[in-house]
Amino acid sequence: MFHRSTATSTASLSAEAGSAFWPAIADIHPVTFGSQARLATVLAYLKTSPSTGCILATRQKKVTGIATRQDLMMALAQHSNWASMRLSDIVTRPVITVAYSEINNISRLVERLEQHRIGYLPVVDETDRLMGVIDRNCLLHVLQDQRCGQESDQSLPTHPHRAHIFADITLKIRQSLQLKEILQTSVDEIQRLLKADRVLIYQVMPDGTGKTISEAVTPAYPSILEIPFPEEVFPQEYQALYAQGRVRAVADVHAPDAHVSQCLLEFIDQWCIKSKLIVPIVRPLDPPETAAKDTIPIRKHLWGLLIAHQCDHIRHWSDFEQDLMQQLAGQISLALSQSQLMSYLEARVRRRTAELTKANRTLKQEIQERKQVEEALRQSETQLRLITNNLPVLIAYVDRQQHYQFNNQVYEQWLGFLPDQMHGRPVRQLIGEVYYQKIRPYIEAALGGEQVSYESELTFADGRDRSVNVTYIPHIDHAESEAQVKGFFALTTDISDRKAIERMKDEFIAVVSHELRTPLTSIHTSLKLLATGLLGDLLTEGQEMLTVADENTDRLVRLVNNVLDLQRIESGEVTIDAQACSTAELIEQAAEAMQAMAHQHNIKIKTKAEALFIWADPDYIVQTLTNLLGNAIKFSAPEKTVVLSVSAFDRQSDSSPSDLSPSDLSPSDLSPAAALFRVQDEGQGIPADKLSSIFERFQQVDSSDARKKGGTGLGLTICRKIVEQHGGTIWAESQLGQGSSFYFTIPLASALVRSSVSSL
Amino acid sequence: MSPTNTKRILIVDDEESIQKVVSLSLKMEANWESVLASSGAEGIQQAEIHQPDAILLDVMMPVMDGIDTFSALENNPKTRAIPVIFLTAKTQASEKRLFQETGVAGVITKPFEPLALAATISQLLHWSLKDQKAGGRLV
Repeated sequence: MFHRSTATSTASLSAEAGSAFWPAIADIHPVTFGSQARLATVLAYLKTSPSTGCILATRQKKVTGIATRQDLMMALAQHSNWASMRLSDIVTRPVITVAYSEINNISRLVERLEQHRIGYLPVVDETDRLMGVIDRNCLLHVLQDQRCGQESDQSLPTHPHRAHIFADITLKIRQSLQLKEILQTSVDEIQRLLKADRVLIYQVMPDGTGKTISEAVTPAYPSILEIPFPEEVFPQEYQALYAQGRVRAVADVHAPDAHVSQCLLEFIDQWCIKSKLIVPIVRPLDPPETAAKDTIPIRKHLWGLLIAHQCDHIRHWSDFEQDLMQQLAGQISLALSQSQLMSYLEARVRRRTAELTKANRTLKQEIQERKQVEEALRQSETQLRLITNNLPVLIAYVDRQQHYQFNNQVYEQWLGFLPDQMHGRPVRQLIGEVYYQKIRPYIEAALGGEQVSYESELTFADGRDRSVNVTYIPHIDHAESEAQVKGFFALTTDISDRKAIERMKDEFIAVVSHELRTPLTSIHTSLKLLATGLLGDLLTEGQEMLTVADENTDRLVRLVNNVLDLQRIESGEVTIDAQACSTAELIEQAAEAMQAMAHQHNIKIKTKAEALFIWADPDYIVQTLTNLLGNAIKFSAPEKTVVLSVSAFDRQSDSSPSDLSPSDLSPSDLSPAAALFRVQDEGQGIPADKLSSIFERFQQVDSSDARKKGGTGLGLTICRKIVEQHGGTIWAESQLGQGSSFYFTIPLASALVRSSVSSL
Repeated sequence: MSPTNTKRILIVDDEESIQKVVSLSLKMEANWESVLASSGAEGIQQAEIHQPDAILLDVMMPVMDGIDTFSALENNPKTRAIPVIFLTAKTQASEKRLFQETGVAGVITKPFEPLALAATISQLLHWSLKDQKAGGRLV
């Protein structure tokens, strides 16, 4: 912290040294700070103490550095980080000092100040302890006062008042940072001090013209305030001279040795000027707008002139007056710099304030938007929770580490688990090791990016055992360069009711299967036995009735069989017991099974088989083939041929029944993936518009004809279901009057082996 | 087993009409004799007494179904050697396979072809119908 040196010690030393000048030339309470004092603290002090011209950095009362007010202002202007700087960063070292014992030798002091071009000279005792600081200006004034005293000049106050007056003016100038006020104070005070008729400050404009911007004038003379000076009056070469520090003291403007140009004489005569004293005011250049924001380039130029006029008489300007004017011009310059700095800082503050206001506005807007988004999110989350908590399913989200991250309220209702307590807990820990091991493969599959479903049993909190269907949907993040599974969503649905219905249906089918077939078996067998005639001959009409009953019983048997078959297949009850089967054997088996019927219809069955192995349930493939063969035989005219064939077929992965046809097949197809079965007849054919619908249930080409042929309308539907269950495709092609071909594909055993190997 | 070529078949079915038509079919087709039983328990009893050449056993019967009855016949030293064929209304391939896995000699589904029933049984049990005295028109 700063302090002022105590006067007590100085006073005693002063008495000891006996210097008459000591109190006049020195500040015996110089302001000192520790060298590590923060610049901000020092500047804050300076603001409250305009009379302080320099700051001393001291340690144990010994001077370690010195900084003038101007040094501090420069630091403020040039360093954006000034607030964090220390006094030690800007002070001048080493410090030129003078011993107290030497201060009586004024000329030595002046010489030292001039030699080092310094304004302040700290005075130290024999142990280098600080006693005070000599101010160059004060020293010069004292000297001047001495001289003036010797010259018996009564125009100005004598020692020690002159020094005080100067200090007083300086203080007044420094007390304001407002340019106009500074300038007016300066001219007022100088006019008062010099007793001049007019003191003015003339500002030089960038274009070389200028005008009086501040003036103190006695009422007897006209004011030249705001009057522009033509360039001829103050030409550029004069400006250059003044910029270099020229001081012009003219006792009589009309005297030939005054060398005042005629043009200027005419001008100044207008204002009754007899004598004039002109000193330049130089100051740093204004920082250009494009300059770096945190530094000010320091270049001096002629800012203006400080001019004193004597109008009532010719006046010889003393050296002291000239010196005083120069000193005050310097002070004005300094004050201008400070004012400029102030303006600059104020502009910066305004700019920063504007920026901050804008940023603040933006921030407020962002906060508002964020609040709106948060509110929307909150509403969305509330809505989501409302939905998830009211859906009769368990909904959970499990992360990669298999920890629950979300559970809906239904967990509590069904299982008694509080969602809050489940949050963050491992699945394994919560559901127990035994159940975890059961579902582990599904969890791992989901975390591997696969959607999986399984059925399971759960014991609810109320003790009921329920059947559930569980689906895991992987949460795949595509945002990153490589898609990553972040976790999975788990949906668990209570399917107990559906299961109960399924069981009822199964029971129903079983009952129908048994209860319908049993009486049918009796009727069917009885009719067949009657038809043999072995139980007695019937009349012709009786025989016909018997045939009708027999045929319709057959049809009823087929219908019951088909309905039950279809029901089973659609309910998924059918278990495909797939194995590698020889296509040739299947073809022969089917042909043999239909031989009797073919014989009955006088149809020839021709087979053509390529030796292949398919992955299928042989019973169902034979059922499909016999069904298709039965149709072919029924709808063929006597003595026609039905061809049953099988060949290799390289199925296109994205082909559909409509775009698959034998014409697509090419012998060059690589490694066949399926076997293509074909049942070809020479029957009446199927109209094109019926081709796609004949595989739908009860969609016969001609129902009356079909009934005549004993069809049930379900045969082709069953065929399609069987083929699809085997991963194959079925379709038909036909030309009216020329016959039909029914095709279906079944995957080859080798293709499935290849497929499973490639998926490993 | 019957000493002559004529076969004696035990028909176990809770449906009397089925008993009758099966019996008549076998008689007409191959002149085989039939022994009738209306339940599993009665079937076991009749099998012990008559020692038939084969048993046609209905699967779905009340109290003791065909599978349990077959199991009891298998565990009975007196009936163990008699071949059993299931006669069932269940037609699904998987069910048929399930029945076959019990160790029965064969499975015939209802409704069957009446005048081919004896032939079917013979085929399942590797009998030759030609060796038998034909009672009907089929030989």
